[in-house]
Amino acid sequence: MTLDELSYRLNGYTGEEGTTFDALVTDDGILEVVCSNNDEFPIHVTQTETQLLSVTALFTQAEVQPGKVNEVNEAFLRLSPAVPLSSIGLQGGTYILFGSMAVSTRFEVIAHELEVQAENAVDVLEVVEHLLA
Amino acid sequence: MSVLRDLFTALRGGASEVGEAVIDANAVRILEQEIRDAETAIGKAKQSLTRMKGTEIRLKREIGVLDADISDYEQKAMAALNNGEEKLATEVAERIAELESDRNDKGSEQASLDAEINKIHAMIKARERTIQKNKRELDKVRTVRELQRATESVSTNFAATGSSEHRVAKALERVKAKQQNWQDRMQAGEWMAEKEGGDDLDAKLRDKGIGDSGSPAASDVLARLKAKSA
Repeated sequence: MTLDELSYRLNGYTGEEGTTFDALVTDDGILEVVCSNNDEFPIHVTQTETQLLSVTALFTQAEVQPGKVNEVNEAFLRLSPAVPLSSIGLQGGTYILFGSMAVSTRFEVIAHELEVQAENAVDVLEVVEHLLA
Repeated sequence: MSVLRDLFTALRGGASEVGEAVIDANAVRILEQEIRDAETAIGKAKQSLTRMKGTEIRLKREIGVLDADISDYEQKAMAALNNGEEKLATEVAERIAELESDRNDKGSEQASLDAEINKIHAMIKARERTIQKNKRELDKVRTVRELQRATESVSTNFAATGSSEHRVAKALERVKAKQQNWQDRMQAGEWMAEKEGGDDLDAKLRDKGIGDSGSPAASDVLARLKAKSA
């Protein structure tokens, strides 16, 4: 499924938990998805030959309170295995929540992953909110 | 060698340019070249296999014919012996020996061909493993590149909204408010559904003549008016 097709199907779809999707392929060929259960942290979906990658940028290291970066890192390392379907990473100076799926993944499963990732972003941020500036 | 180490070194070093520049472009080219080389080698090996298979089929057929001849002459030699034709039997035995020697030659030719075919199969498998491994390595590079592209694209949004103080806290607050609002609406919906369900119950009771009799029917009004005028 191409990102254009994915975008088209997401726009008319309602997830198992009632989530709706606002999806748009940007000029750089990245699919931006805003889920109704968390419209503040959009998910950016991109593709390699084998994987679909979904990325939610959480915050930058500059937004962490001075001297608290290690605490955030440790919290994320400990938290990551417990977060369903998503992993936490650092890309450049930006903390990201990301998921990866095989390109052959069924549409309903992709939609569910995105729905869960949007929810996960809120949960993860709540844990470290007190460490942010 | 895995490209992960190179990737880590590059990323730790702060490489943030989008593209395969995150690791030595040469490493990517080498991986891609190895894949092409392996694919070419597999193509050639498959052509050799086809030729060898042809030879193998021919050898098998010839060995089969020789075996049949040997068995045929053996029977004839036995018959000659039984008839006391010792000299004739010896001639037949000489022919059998020639045929067996011929068959043995062809047998060893077939054995070395089999060994060759096995070697080529092993080589194809090894090359296929190289292709798969290199493709996985390349996928790691591409994954990092795509993650960078996606993150950069979102980070541009950060910049657009400004990295104001408490950005995350404010955003979280808005999300939670919306989620609460959504939950409230859900509850309201449930309340409404319950209420409608309750009304249904009242209607059922009315149907059975229990409780409130509901709005008066036209026939009741007419009966009342008739009673008044009487």
